[in-house]
This record gives sequence, structure tokens and C-alpha cells, in this order.
Amino acid sequence: MNDTASPDSHLQSLAELDQIIHAPARLMILTYLYVVESADYVYLMRLTKLSWGNLATHLGKLEEAGYVKIEKEFQGKKPHSTIRLTEKGRAAFQVYKKSLQQILDDLPD
Amino acid sequence: MSDPISLREAEKKAFTTLHNDGLWDIMIGSILLIIALAPGLSGRLGDFWSSAIFLPVWGVLYLVILWVRKSVVAPRLGSAQFSQRRNARLRKLTILLILVNIVALVLGSLVLVLGWTSGWLVPALFSLILVGGFSLAAYWVDMNRLYVYGLLAGMAPLAGEWLYRQELASHHGYPLTFGITSGVIILVGIGMFIHMLMHNPLPTPEV
Repeated sequence: MNDTASPDSHLQSLAELDQIIHAPARLMILTYLYVVESADYVYLMRLTKLSWGNLATHLGKLEEAGYVKIEKEFQGKKPHSTIRLTEKGRAAFQVYKKSLQQILDDLPD
Repeated sequence: MSDPISLREAEKKAFTTLHNDGLWDIMIGSILLIIALAPGLSGRLGDFWSSAIFLPVWGVLYLVILWVRKSVVAPRLGSAQFSQRRNARLRKLTILLILVNIVALVLGSLVLVLGWTSGWLVPALFSLILVGGFSLAAYWVDMNRLYVYGLLAGMAPLAGEWLYRQELASHHGYPLTFGITSGVIILVGIGMFIHMLMHNPLPTPEV
């Protein structure tokens, strides 16, 4: 534990966290995608309690960052999307988790 | 060191969310129902057929559950593929449950061959096997209610034997005690299924 770190350095560390992941909704989405191989929209919606539109917006940002891959297909006549974490997303999540843990551990009591 | 993001809890929630629809509870309850109904049928059908007749019933029920899961549950709860670790645990569970069944079969045969059917040994062994099987299942699939089902099912042979010895029930009390146990589990399953339907309406279709 680093007891000599100033409060400013902690705030600086917070600012350096991956801001794509740092949004609560996207952190939730990535956490669940990290523990499953793949999931569809409805499942993520139920788990995260996000609305359809909100989920689509956040997934769009994650896809843009290259953190998730969205595969669209048709099940009969209905469109169906399968979402999975990319290797880049998995690595970014691991770095984020480690950094957050470090920041929390370094915070003074 | 505290973990700000519990991946284990997230994985557990991800798994149980998809399996809290009550369908497997209905299946488990219906499997236990055979123990309640078989003694009553054995007089007419014989010991073998009174049990074997339930196999096609289970087969049909299993197919119905798969159909309900695909056409009623999946559109409401969605679907996911789980990690290799979770799939490995499910495979281990299947193997363990098969082993438990083989042990039960061997012990049951030994007891019959040795003629120990009149004491408390059979209900005690049966009880242990049920508690052990359900506890293993509860542990491997992270579903705490299976521990309760295990206790309920484990008490059934002992309570049944006691009722039988008090001349309060026939057939070692199994129709009564297993009837109640399976009824409770099936009712819980139906309750969970209705709860799932009420709290998870069909979402707006993807566009």
C-alpha cells in the first residue's frame, strides 16, 4: 500500500481510468460479457435492467471502441444479435479492474 | 485486498438469472412424484412397470420443458453461452449424479439381497443419498434452494417410515411424504414460472 501518495495522485489515477469502461452501464455490460462466452440483447437487458435504447447506445460505444463484437443474424424472420467480448475488450477490462482495485486499495482510510 | 468487481458473483447472477424460471423445479418435483405414485401402482403393474411407466412421462415432460424454454422463456429472458468453467462444472455434476444413482442402485440391491428391508437402514440410506445428491447439485450449480429440496426429500423416507410404524400410512409412508415433497417442489416451480412471466414481459423486438 502506498501511504505517501497524495490525494491529487489518486484523483489523477481515477482520471486515467479507461473512460469507455468507467461509465456504470458499460462497466455492468462488460462485467457480464466477461463471465459468459456470449449473450443476446434481451439477456443483457434483463441482467443490467437497462432499456433497449440505452443498451443499444452503450453497446454501440463499446463496439466502436472494439471492445465487443455484435453478430447479427436472423432466427426465422426475427433479427437476433449475439454479443461477445473481443480480446481487446477482455484485456481492457482486466487492466481497468486492476487499476480500480489499486486505486481503492491506495485510498487513505 | 477487497475486490471492487466480484466476477464470481457476476457469473453466479448471470447463470441463475437464466435458470430461475421454475422449469427444472417442476422436472425435479415430477421425478420425485414417481416415488409417491409407484407404490400405489405396483399392485397392478408390478414393481418394475410401476416405475418404468414413468420414463415416457418424463421424456414427454422433458420435451415440453425444452419447448417452453425455447418459445416462452428465451424470448423473455434472452439467451447466453456460458464459460467453459461453468460447462465443466455442469459436466462434473452430471457424472456425479450418475455415480450417486449407481451407488444407490448397488446399495438398494445389496439391501434386498441381504434382506434388510424391515429396519431403518433403507430409509436412512435413501435419505443420505437424496441429501447428498441434492447438495452436490446445489453446490455445482450455485442454487441454494436445492439444499432445501434436499432436506425435504431427505426427510421424506425417515418421516414416511415413522408414519408407517405408527400405522398412520401405508407403503412405508412414501405416497404421503414424497407426495407432499414433490407437491411442494412442483408448486415452487409453478410459482417461479408465473413470477418470471409476470416480471419479464416480451420486450420490443429488435430492429
